[in-house]
Amino acid sequence: MNSLWWWALPVLVLPILWHRQKREQTKTAPLASARFLPAAQPKQLRVWRWNDPLLLILRCLLLATLIALLADLVLPWRGDAVLVVPGLDAAFVAKQAGTRERIDLPDRDAVNWLHAHEREFKPEARLLVLGDAAMPAVLPRFRHAVELRTQAAPFKGAERHVAVFSTRPEAWRRLFSAPGAPLRYVIDAQPGGKTELIVWDRPQAPPAGLRAPLWWVGDARAFPELAQPKTAGAIRYADSARGRLWTMDAWPLADVEGARALLASWQRLQYPPQPYTAPPQRLPGDAGAAAGPASGALRDWLSIALLALFALERILTHVRRR
Amino acid sequence: MPVSSALIAHTTKLELVIRHVLAGLGHGIHAGRERGAGVEFSEYRAYAPGDEWRRVDWKLMARADRYFVREAERDSHVAVWLVLDATASMLEPSRSVEGLTKLQYARVMLACVAAIAQRQGDAFGLVVCSGERAHFTPAARGPRQLQRVLARLEATEADGVLPGSDTLRASLHFSMAPSVVCVAGDFLEWPSPLSDAIVRLRRMRHDVRALCLQTEAEVAASFDPELAYRDPEQGAQVYRFGRDVRAAYQRNREAHFAQVIKDCRQNDLPLLSAQIEQAPGEVLQRWLRKAVRA
Repeated sequence: MNSLWWWALPVLVLPILWHRQKREQTKTAPLASARFLPAAQPKQLRVWRWNDPLLLILRCLLLATLIALLADLVLPWRGDAVLVVPGLDAAFVAKQAGTRERIDLPDRDAVNWLHAHEREFKPEARLLVLGDAAMPAVLPRFRHAVELRTQAAPFKGAERHVAVFSTRPEAWRRLFSAPGAPLRYVIDAQPGGKTELIVWDRPQAPPAGLRAPLWWVGDARAFPELAQPKTAGAIRYADSARGRLWTMDAWPLADVEGARALLASWQRLQYPPQPYTAPPQRLPGDAGAAAGPASGALRDWLSIALLALFALERILTHVRRR
Repeated sequence: MPVSSALIAHTTKLELVIRHVLAGLGHGIHAGRERGAGVEFSEYRAYAPGDEWRRVDWKLMARADRYFVREAERDSHVAVWLVLDATASMLEPSRSVEGLTKLQYARVMLACVAAIAQRQGDAFGLVVCSGERAHFTPAARGPRQLQRVLARLEATEADGVLPGSDTLRASLHFSMAPSVVCVAGDFLEWPSPLSDAIVRLRRMRHDVRALCLQTEAEVAASFDPELAYRDPEQGAQVYRFGRDVRAAYQRNREAHFAQVIKDCRQNDLPLLSAQIEQAPGEVLQRWLRKAVRA
């Protein structure tokens, strides 16, 4: 869509015409015997001269820069490269990459990143994706030949931090250590930045500064938001300024099955699903593939150039008027 | 060495130019009726720069230790009138000699005539037509008058158009006495108040001599086709010059000057057409001789 702005390039003709016409209107010389000349308008179109060539160049550059900025110009400057999904062994990457440029991806979605940045690669560049890249919903099409050399990363036992404020902490501790739970739960003495769940099982209201993504409330009277809750199964929930609040009539403090189901619900409802690992494969280059969205690689430079050119143009115009 | 027209372009001092021009000519161009010092003594006058040394009374100088000039009884009744057309069109430059305009050339011509008249003891006056006015310098004799006229000529700047017929007629009240009238201009406007005036003077039996100044580029019809042109005396109309309009330009110009020459012949008015790139000495000689023949 942005590349449609290149069609605005004919605008550059305007300053060229303006400067030429100004030249024509001012250049006359007195001629005493002009009365013998037939009354004919001077042919102004023949002379292609411009006044103030510096200002003309500045104005043309200004317009061209503006159009390039709007069209989000991207210059292909990357050659052969290895795209490395985070969390991969450095020695393994060095062995696979060889002399090729190494690019560290921000997350597992290598296909999306490549789609956005594909215009930065030279046409003959070959690309290799290493690591636990996420599988896209449909088979991607790229202009470059891309090899996916993926491997599923071994599942690392993730852990979630929990803070418990309760008159019966032992019962809650048992709930989090229920056998067969998908993750490991760490119970913090004090809630910190990592805390993802606060269990508030006290009748009084919590202190004002305490916040967490999810609260399990033992006594609903402590939270006025829970006066009119929504219901999902056995769970009643409401949103507050502190975070999402869950409450149940009977917390499964002694029921192992119930505890496992509760923890699974927490995992399912609060966290997005983890993508599958894409299968290793070679994707041939497809010249007809649509270019990805703009990457804005030159946007900053173009903006600075635009500002500088604008200032210069104003200064020169001002000097000329005086 | 004859003086070239480039000297006019490079020298601002009129006195210097006319000295050079007249030095190349020698004497006896114009058959004046007066000899400088008359036979019958009239009075003594203080010496002024420009007086001939042979007219200084040496005996009186020995007595008084100052220079005095013997003035003779004048019996000349011929006055020389110099008429300069200094309208804006006279600023037309020579396209081949840098810095030379028709006005400068006409100024030198008239200054030379004034110097000759002064040497011969004739009275001379000046009329400058410029900016719709006629500036009038009354006729007188002597070196001081020459300096006055030269200063007036040097101060002249081309501007505007010719004065109206009434203004010009009022300025030509001298036409009662017999006189020689030297007119220098470009005669691009014809008939004009100036042409009417000189034809009338000629009919009143004055000795009128017209000098029509042109440039080489005008005669050859060769101007820069890159430029747009405008008439300095007429409005803001813009003209262009090119190969296609060259023939029409030449035709119009020749028709105009054929009419000028025809009118002059009809009125027995000697007219010399000269290009300002020609040597001023030769042009001056031809101008004055032509007048004598006519």
